[in-house]
Amino acid sequence: MATNNPSVFLVMINGQIEGANFPEYDDLYCKYCFVYGNDWAPTSGLEEGISQIACRGQGTQPALVWNFPLEITFKSTNPFGWPQIAVSVYGPDTFGNDVVRGYGAVHVPLTPGKHVRTVPMFVPESTSRLQKFTSWLMGRRPEFTDPKVVAQGEGREVTRVRSQGTVTISFNIVTKDMKKLGYDATPSEALSAYTHLQG
Amino acid sequence: MAELHIIGQIVGASGFPRSSLFCKWGVHTGGAWHLLSGLREGQTQVDCPQASDTAFWSHPIDLHYATKGLQGWPKLHLQVWHQDSFGRCELFGYGYCHVPSSPGHHRLRCVTWRPLGSWQEQLAQMFVGGGPQLRSPDVIYTGADRYRLHTVAMGTVELELGIILRHFDKHGVES
Repeated sequence: MATNNPSVFLVMINGQIEGANFPEYDDLYCKYCFVYGNDWAPTSGLEEGISQIACRGQGTQPALVWNFPLEITFKSTNPFGWPQIAVSVYGPDTFGNDVVRGYGAVHVPLTPGKHVRTVPMFVPESTSRLQKFTSWLMGRRPEFTDPKVVAQGEGREVTRVRSQGTVTISFNIVTKDMKKLGYDATPSEALSAYTHLQG
Repeated sequence: MAELHIIGQIVGASGFPRSSLFCKWGVHTGGAWHLLSGLREGQTQVDCPQASDTAFWSHPIDLHYATKGLQGWPKLHLQVWHQDSFGRCELFGYGYCHVPSSPGHHRLRCVTWRPLGSWQEQLAQMFVGGGPQLRSPDVIYTGADRYRLHTVAMGTVELELGIILRHFDKHGVES
């Protein structure tokens, strides 16, 4: 079944968006989507999703928990355009409108194994104080028209943002046929430990 | 031909005197290296952190190089700038670090420095800002004319880079 000369390699991503740490906000939900290059295609799983609305726990658990599953498998011919997960967090403001509380993105880890990533979240800032007050009053804050913009590097030099809060995501990564295609992504200490066990 | 993938992000910066910061970055390589895809330089967004003193950029870096030789391994050079509420930009630090040469995930802390002028220039800088800047940015990553410089240390920039090598072992290179 397995060919000796594969032309694609697979990356399987299992994980969860565990929760968030926003000291000033509560009742938050998040949306995620995967952003990837032209050489990549998802073969199974969900590319995007919306979580439940979560409140902070009481007492000794001040964290906000979503426990939101991520399961997707990609196939590709080229590591360029490695998938990133772009997360946007939304919540109510004082008037009850749904406003954005943060955008963030992180690359899916490159090496097989378990990884935990803490992603800082930021919101675009209004240009002037008058605009800031108007947007607070009307409930229409500055937003990105396409949340995938946070995963790109171009065009960022004209944005001013304010970072507030973090989101914790844990990943379990399995790759197939990367070594057969000649790609080496394993750290050398892990390799030497493996050869020590073998010999 | 061997290939190198650099996949990661410029996470943010800490330890600078003020916090509304952005970073101009670039990757410099020797003559044997050829960039196949990706942007070799860029500028991050300006971040004013709400609570912490670390400015977060999360600027993605995705580069694909092909090479015929090991000399001139890629170097990432950074310039950290501060933008105040009036939109004026002031240099806060230069720094560089080599891209790691072993595969896997690396967390790097790049230290930065700023040129120091004479005591008159430092006094003026305390009041109106500004300050000396390098005329050509290659002094950031070369050692050639450094002996003329007098510098002061500034904060650190954090990077997370993942490295994937291809066909390096076929050419007998161990890393």
